[in-house]
Amino acid sequence: MDSDSDISISDYDEQNLSRSKAKGKGKATDKDKRKKEKAKRKPKDVQAYTWEANFTRSWETVQEDERGSLQGAVDDWMVRGRRKRLLAPQNAIRRTIIRHMVLLIDLSSSMMDRDMRPTRFAVTLQYAREFIIEWFDQNPLGQMAVVGMRAGVGERISDMSGNPQDVLKSISDRHKLEPTGEPSLQNSIEMARNSMNHLPTHSSREILIIFGSLTTCDPGNIHETLDECVKNKIRISIVALAAEMKICRELCDKTGGQFGVAMNEGHFKDLLFEIVPPPAQRGIIPRPATGGTTATAAATTANAAADLMMMGFPTRLPDASPPSLCQRFLCPRCLAKVCDVPTDCDICGLMIVSSPHLARSYHHLFPVKPYTAVASFDAVPDPSATSSCHACSRPFPTTAAPPANVGEGMSAIGRYRCPDCNTDFCSDCDVFVHDVIHCCPGCSK
Amino acid sequence: MPSAAHVDDIDDKDLIQISNKPHALLPFLQLQSATSLSRLYQSPSSCLSIFRLLDALERQLVMNLLWLESAIAQTTLGVWVFQEKKKLYDDALDMLSKLHILHIHSAKLSLNGTFKTSLRHAITGGGTTGSFGVPAEKDEKRPPMDVEGLDAYALERWETILHFMVSSGTGQNPTRPSQGVLYLLQRSGLMSNQHGSLPQITSAGFQFLLHPPHAQLWDLLLQYLHMAEERQMDLVEVLTFFFMLSTMELGREYLTENLSQTQKAMLDDLRDYGLIWQRRPTSRRFSPTRLATTLNSSSPSLPTGASTGAGAASGSQQQQGFIVLETNYRVYAYTDNPLQTAVLNLFVSLKYRFPNLVVGSITRDSVRRALNNGISADQIISYLITHAHPQMRKFNPLLPVTVQDQIRLWELEKDRLKSQEGYLYTSFASQGDYELVRDYAKQLDVVVWENDAKRCFFGTLEGHANIKSFVERRGVGGDY
Amino acid sequence: MAGSHLSVVIDLSPSQWHLSSLHQPYPLDISAFISQLLAFLNAHIAFKHENTLAVFGAFPGKSTLLYSSADPPAETPSNDANYFPPLKLVDSTMMHRIVQNLETLTQNNGDDKAPSALVGALTKALCYINRLTLEFNAATTNATEGLEPLALPDSRILILSVSPDQTASYIPVMNSIFSAQKLKVTIDACQIYGPDTVFLQQAAHLTGGSYIYLERRDALLQYLTMAFLPPPSVRQTISVPTQDKIDFRAACFCHKNIIDVGFVCSVCLSIFCQPVPVCSTCRQVLLTKFPFKTLQRLNAARSSLPSSPSQPRNSSAPSSPQKTNGRTPSRTEAPLGPGGLPHSGSISLNNSTTNGAISSR
Repeated sequence: MDSDSDISISDYDEQNLSRSKAKGKGKATDKDKRKKEKAKRKPKDVQAYTWEANFTRSWETVQEDERGSLQGAVDDWMVRGRRKRLLAPQNAIRRTIIRHMVLLIDLSSSMMDRDMRPTRFAVTLQYAREFIIEWFDQNPLGQMAVVGMRAGVGERISDMSGNPQDVLKSISDRHKLEPTGEPSLQNSIEMARNSMNHLPTHSSREILIIFGSLTTCDPGNIHETLDECVKNKIRISIVALAAEMKICRELCDKTGGQFGVAMNEGHFKDLLFEIVPPPAQRGIIPRPATGGTTATAAATTANAAADLMMMGFPTRLPDASPPSLCQRFLCPRCLAKVCDVPTDCDICGLMIVSSPHLARSYHHLFPVKPYTAVASFDAVPDPSATSSCHACSRPFPTTAAPPANVGEGMSAIGRYRCPDCNTDFCSDCDVFVHDVIHCCPGCSK
Repeated sequence: MPSAAHVDDIDDKDLIQISNKPHALLPFLQLQSATSLSRLYQSPSSCLSIFRLLDALERQLVMNLLWLESAIAQTTLGVWVFQEKKKLYDDALDMLSKLHILHIHSAKLSLNGTFKTSLRHAITGGGTTGSFGVPAEKDEKRPPMDVEGLDAYALERWETILHFMVSSGTGQNPTRPSQGVLYLLQRSGLMSNQHGSLPQITSAGFQFLLHPPHAQLWDLLLQYLHMAEERQMDLVEVLTFFFMLSTMELGREYLTENLSQTQKAMLDDLRDYGLIWQRRPTSRRFSPTRLATTLNSSSPSLPTGASTGAGAASGSQQQQGFIVLETNYRVYAYTDNPLQTAVLNLFVSLKYRFPNLVVGSITRDSVRRALNNGISADQIISYLITHAHPQMRKFNPLLPVTVQDQIRLWELEKDRLKSQEGYLYTSFASQGDYELVRDYAKQLDVVVWENDAKRCFFGTLEGHANIKSFVERRGVGGDY
Repeated sequence: MAGSHLSVVIDLSPSQWHLSSLHQPYPLDISAFISQLLAFLNAHIAFKHENTLAVFGAFPGKSTLLYSSADPPAETPSNDANYFPPLKLVDSTMMHRIVQNLETLTQNNGDDKAPSALVGALTKALCYINRLTLEFNAATTNATEGLEPLALPDSRILILSVSPDQTASYIPVMNSIFSAQKLKVTIDACQIYGPDTVFLQQAAHLTGGSYIYLERRDALLQYLTMAFLPPPSVRQTISVPTQDKIDFRAACFCHKNIIDVGFVCSVCLSIFCQPVPVCSTCRQVLLTKFPFKTLQRLNAARSSLPSSPSQPRNSSAPSSPQKTNGRTPSRTEAPLGPGGLPHSGSISLNNSTTNGAISSR
């Protein structure tokens, strides 16, 4: 009775539009980077696919305000992140914290197309690296494997590993990954599926496919593979670089994954980074899932995926202990030495984590409530007492910005208020608190 | 006399040493006697400023010892240092003891008592020395000069000096700084007066221009200290006054009353350099400028932008650098400052000028001109690095390698010849005579070059007397 | 080279300081503490012209900024020829604000016993450093060129605490530690009075800082100077105390026991020392119930463990070598032999038989 297929796929569909416009998960420290990306990505709201576009002068699409400043445009960008947070459901979310993912990268000759600069292949490798770093950062208990699709077969590039460096290293040499031949979805998915068969059910099994080709060269009936995946509760998400294929859409819909076609480089990255946060398992009441998820999955109850896991907290060997190769921890059950945590003990199979690893995931489960934008000075009871940001003490502006520069969800007076402790924060701290600290400085929770 | 050809290789060690060099003032202080240093250390502001001029490690060691009442064993402090960094630690102790800040007695360390008391006073407040200057009460009728005004004043004074230096001999007639400044410039060897009335910039002067502003300021002040010695001024009072200025608050007026006679006399000179501002030369108040209050900061980022640097005191762009250098040797300098343009002109051949942009290129001729002026390739490169435009900071290495290498090669080209004084021995009557003398010279190890076919060799100056007497004794025929 | 930034978080809980002033040996009261602290802060300012400082006070139930060099107060201190002006400014501003805050505290007395808002002060310090980082990047125009934003060089946080760990603040503290890691900020910690705090130990360890438990409270200033004054760049030459024994085992949520092997709810990651049928943390909101089969299986597995984790164990036991030796006998009793392994193998997640058991729903 354990399944994680009761995620509400419908919500993804509803939010897809708004999300694909909004930027994916970002850090506050990235804020300035966004300023730049702003220029790059803005066009995607007005234009469509890269190959349909003429040469665009991205700098012309950035709007300056009457004083020639770009601040308005930048603020507007930050506001989208805020709106996205507000859209996020308020009720408690259950998320799959322990994730297993196989990243399937298309290495067929179609990846050499130049509609993304310099090639789809180069862009994919670059974004895959960023994706892996961010994914492990957000999912410290996750494990990932990489499989390539080339010359009609699936090719194992890296084994399931909890160490981001291992995974990154496997895709660091682009000459070993040179694209060639036709891709085979079926072969590759089968390979990924087999490597995840044995996994415990409380963890997620996911396949993320970066697919550049418009064909697939399969030895058998791919629909059988699809049925197997549904049976094994494997969630398939696809980011297509060319166009939508029916089989791709079906793979995602039936397994509860996400499907998207990248319109340009920026959108490609957005689509990838949407996979980074742990998938939500929402709904205490089972919802009928859209997109033709099997009826049995819909009928499962929410708590079916919950399980108790046995975990070991290792003893760290003191630095003074006799030297060994890299083995710094002791499995608490069988006293075997292990190199790195988190991992499964090689001897007894116990899952070994350290408490900070668990703590790193807590923020997904206990998010900070979104702050509300303070509309005008009327809402500030005592402006002199709260003249500066509660967190970083930066003085608030004393005059309201002209309404033309104030987008929806933005505060004209630069104040954002925590609904719990009623203290005001500046927009930088708003971003920093929600994206990095995950703890409100006013109410300390 | 012909000279022997030699290709010299350049030692890169000099480059590395620049980064770890102690502050320019410290060697000067080391030369002072223990008594005058002890007098200097009586002032808390001097102790604080000297403390800040020290290296970070030395500062930490001083702080570790500051609150201890008794001497501490050298080994006790040594265990806090990583073994592989032991040399740095020993160097630091050495430096401190040379400055008489640290006493090392029978492997025990303790701070100089005077220094300890003064630095404690500086940090916790207290004492009665008044070494941080006596601030003037606010005068409603005549408010003190604001910070912008002071910055502009300091910048104007300082750039006048530099601009005068850079444009000497170019036929332009820039504003002449005051007589005192001119004297200091000549005295310090940055300019020379040998060609008549107008002073000319020397090769030391050209090198000076490429230094970072903070170093320039200290260079001049050091020269001032040397001059003060000759003028029979009390060095301790001069130094104390410098340090007092460096701990003063920008934008505040101070009274001259508590200053000694020497220090009052210094006011005139310092006004010329732009370190202090006074409403009138006879005024009983003075305000330190930013040049003075940042004297004890170790970084060159003077907000005044820096003398060689900036047109506008507030322009953050200017502080960040303004030069873009391309792999094709082209230089784009975003500046409208005549001084910066003039400095660039030292080693760049300028092509176009726009209101905010100067374009030129680095050529063999322009670099050779700079080299002939005594500027070294490393100085050019470090100037370009310090003032590189933020856009350039994206690249690693920052400057195009081709250009760096080429500038260095041009320098090597110049150093292809190495001259050595000596004598050429030629016109030997016979091969036997030649070999006889040459072998004798070889025994003395004074042969620099020989050519058997032409029967001539070149000996050093030192060997000449011996060879001459040998030839005379033997009576072999030969010219020299 | 730019200066280094220091943010200091001070715990100003009156009740804890009262206890500290009575504690023998080496009593230390709050006024002596503040005068020594000011000397330390002044030393930091004196260290380098470009050094910056921010001080955050954690009072019972609230936290405030006490001093920051980025926003100097409008009123300038009176003229004094014997005082270096920047230091004078720090001293007078800090004293003024501490007294002010303590007075408001006595006025609305009652919440005097509330725990110190150490987390609030710590998160504020992080927000403040984030602000400096943003300003730093804006000034160097680095970020606009598409480069990764630079971390502020040499910035660090020093926490001076007198209170014991607040269990409720575990998650916020851990979140703060991870943010500090992202900002490349070192966290130093000094426990001046009271028991060792595991949270601050972890904070220092995970960010490469130094943790000191102050035993000689009369030598506070010397400790502060030698261990916490050197900026990270100097620490490459001069070593500062770090601790070798760090306890990374977790405490269970049900009995707060330190455990070796625990049972973790897959939904909310709550840790229990024994298999429980319902997750006590998230049952209200998510109705988490665990499958009966798992309970049976885990209970069986637990009996094979070396020693029952529900027994409280000495929390200081972990990685210190001597104590590990002392514990070894109990380890050897554990069924490590061939008799023990099959049992633990039955819960092995990779084991094919178990796999079959799970999937047969």
